[in-house]
Amino acid sequence: MLKAQARFHPWAMLSPSLGLLLVFVLVPLALAAWQSFFAWDLLTPAVPVGLGNFRALAESGALLGTAGRTLAFSALVVSGATVTGLALALLLDRPGALFAWVRSSIFAAYVVSWVAVALLWLWLLDGDVGIVGVSLRAFGLPRVGFLTEPALVVPTLAAVTTWKIAGYAMIVFQAGLRAIPASVLEAAALDGASGFVRLRSMTLPLLAPTTAFVATTSLVVSFQAFDVIRIMTQGGPAHASELFVYAIYEQFFMNLSVGRASALAVVFFALLLALSAAELRAFELRGRTRRERSLP
Amino acid sequence: MTAVDSYRTLHPRSDVVNYTRHIVPSRVNRRSLLLALSGAPLPLASSCASPERRERRVVTLWYSYGGKNREVLTELVARFNRSQGDILVEATYQGDYYEALAKLRTAVAARVAPTLSHVVVEVLPYLAETRALEPLDEYPGARELGLVHSLAQAGAFASGDARPLYGIPFNRSIPVTYLNSELFEAERLDAPTTWAELVEAARRLTRRSAANPRWGFGVPISWWFWVAMTAQAGGELVGPGGETTFGGEAGAKALAFLQRLVHDERVMRLPAGRDYNAWQVTNQDFIAGRVAMTWMSTAFLRYIEENARFRVRTAPLPGDVRRAVPTGGTFFVMLASAPEPEKRAAWSFLRFMCATDQAVDWATRTGYLPVTDASVARLRDGGFFAKHPNDTVAQRDLANVLAWPWAPNLFRSQRDVLEPRLEEAVMKGRNAGALLREARELARRPW
Repeated sequence: MLKAQARFHPWAMLSPSLGLLLVFVLVPLALAAWQSFFAWDLLTPAVPVGLGNFRALAESGALLGTAGRTLAFSALVVSGATVTGLALALLLDRPGALFAWVRSSIFAAYVVSWVAVALLWLWLLDGDVGIVGVSLRAFGLPRVGFLTEPALVVPTLAAVTTWKIAGYAMIVFQAGLRAIPASVLEAAALDGASGFVRLRSMTLPLLAPTTAFVATTSLVVSFQAFDVIRIMTQGGPAHASELFVYAIYEQFFMNLSVGRASALAVVFFALLLALSAAELRAFELRGRTRRERSLP
Repeated sequence: MTAVDSYRTLHPRSDVVNYTRHIVPSRVNRRSLLLALSGAPLPLASSCASPERRERRVVTLWYSYGGKNREVLTELVARFNRSQGDILVEATYQGDYYEALAKLRTAVAARVAPTLSHVVVEVLPYLAETRALEPLDEYPGARELGLVHSLAQAGAFASGDARPLYGIPFNRSIPVTYLNSELFEAERLDAPTTWAELVEAARRLTRRSAANPRWGFGVPISWWFWVAMTAQAGGELVGPGGETTFGGEAGAKALAFLQRLVHDERVMRLPAGRDYNAWQVTNQDFIAGRVAMTWMSTAFLRYIEENARFRVRTAPLPGDVRRAVPTGGTFFVMLASAPEPEKRAAWSFLRFMCATDQAVDWATRTGYLPVTDASVARLRDGGFFAKHPNDTVAQRDLANVLAWPWAPNLFRSQRDVLEPRLEEAVMKGRNAGALLREARELARRPW
């Protein structure tokens, strides 16, 4: 094992990363935390309000509403992307040019910009002339305001996000499927295990690390949602699609309220910290259980 | 051979090489090369500036117009730049009004503000209060611009002439009713003059077809139209003592009327999106014939006339207990932080824009209102209004203009307090009176 020649050497090696972390993460975070105790609009002197910004957000229901919508959106995107990605990988992981073309077509959505995707779906989901609405009405169903009904807007945005990232999840699951030794599945088949039993008892458990990776990346994407909201709904109708990142933007840039935007950012950070800690704890517990099982 | 030597071999006439010849020693090591390159962009950037930029006083103008309006503005700016050789106005698009305002505030805070910008009516008192704006009263000719009273700061705001002059009107508008005249003629309907007539017309024009529906009426859920309706119902945004009232009972009545059109009568289409996206969607719905009648700014008059495949007619907004319209659009503002010579140059540009030729061009090619008495007179005497009755409607309705209160919290009341509640009331059907009471309490909260 290499030993540092001087005590400051490890710190010197780490300093570029630490510097970036400090300048772009820790200092802004500390500033946001500090600013959350003031009423400030950038142009007039800041007025200290203590916990007033947090109280105002809590009393208006904006804090709970934004957190609830963000978590609901994330749950829909993570589950949607994981299930769709896995299903597509299982269906399309076959040889042949046709399957390769279908896989490429599905993955293409992932490389298209968010703005283009949002504009495309804005048109497709138009209540009167969009192909989705027209198709529904052709089956005798009523007109649906996918982007104008407060109850439908978060599921709609989650579906658009899932559509965009499912191709990526499919490719990752495909790689995971190819990493499972064929001999293991063949042995199970020889032992009489049906296709469903092989999927449930062998493929899915062996795909657990891949699933965790897909879920984590989808979670990150869902928490960063901004472009699709900015283009499709601007947080509306009636705040129904205002997720954390968009709400922070809205408070800071549109409502001229730096203090409340900072308070939202602080709560968002705390939420992410709690979720990350829970995820780490879950991994730790799972690792411990595996180690205990492997003991004689 | 060093990296610079190799580059020099390949690009013997390169400016980079010529520049680095002076600063890079013959034996270049990595550190000196990095140092040299880190300093290179600055002098290079200045040497890249056009001769025009070096020789003339540059005035930066941030604007928010898109489409046809942008085309006309950039032509007028180019005309100004050609008309003289001392000043160069550089106009930069900064997104819609709200995006541009966000950038302007950030730029003011970061001390990199432009010389000129334009801001929506509601934000003028707030920016003036922050001292970000330059008072314009003492600039030469500021009192002799001959502005249309109801569109200038003096008439657009209650006691607007009792304050320093901060805004010069340029793209000013009022809301009007746009009618699909072919549908109105087919139904033998005239433009509605009251809310009751509006409901009746919208009912008759609505076609409840699954395959090809048509809505009788469409309007964005926006504070501007709600302010108009509140005033029509006899309300004022602030009370006699300056306290925020949001129109009291009249405000709730206006909101309840919108709820009725959407939920009970089902004759009004709710546009997707918020802010100007919703405005754009409403325009598209009207142009495509999905909506038979809409309330929209005169700003879109030329755009709608040119793009609709049917004859477009405009009419004044209907009244309730009275006729009333708020003014909209923006005022040009000069930023106080700009250097003095730039401010003087910017003032020349503002005077140029208020000159009759420019005011007439802007109004006739866009649909915004002519902002000087001389431009109105020229359009009237030259027969423009006779030939374009749609433009005349707004001219006549200027008699019903409602002055905005000069309240620094006006913009915050709009964005943060009221507009979300208007949406909640219309989209979710929440009680209009309760929402406005809540809004009044929130408006009293400190910034």
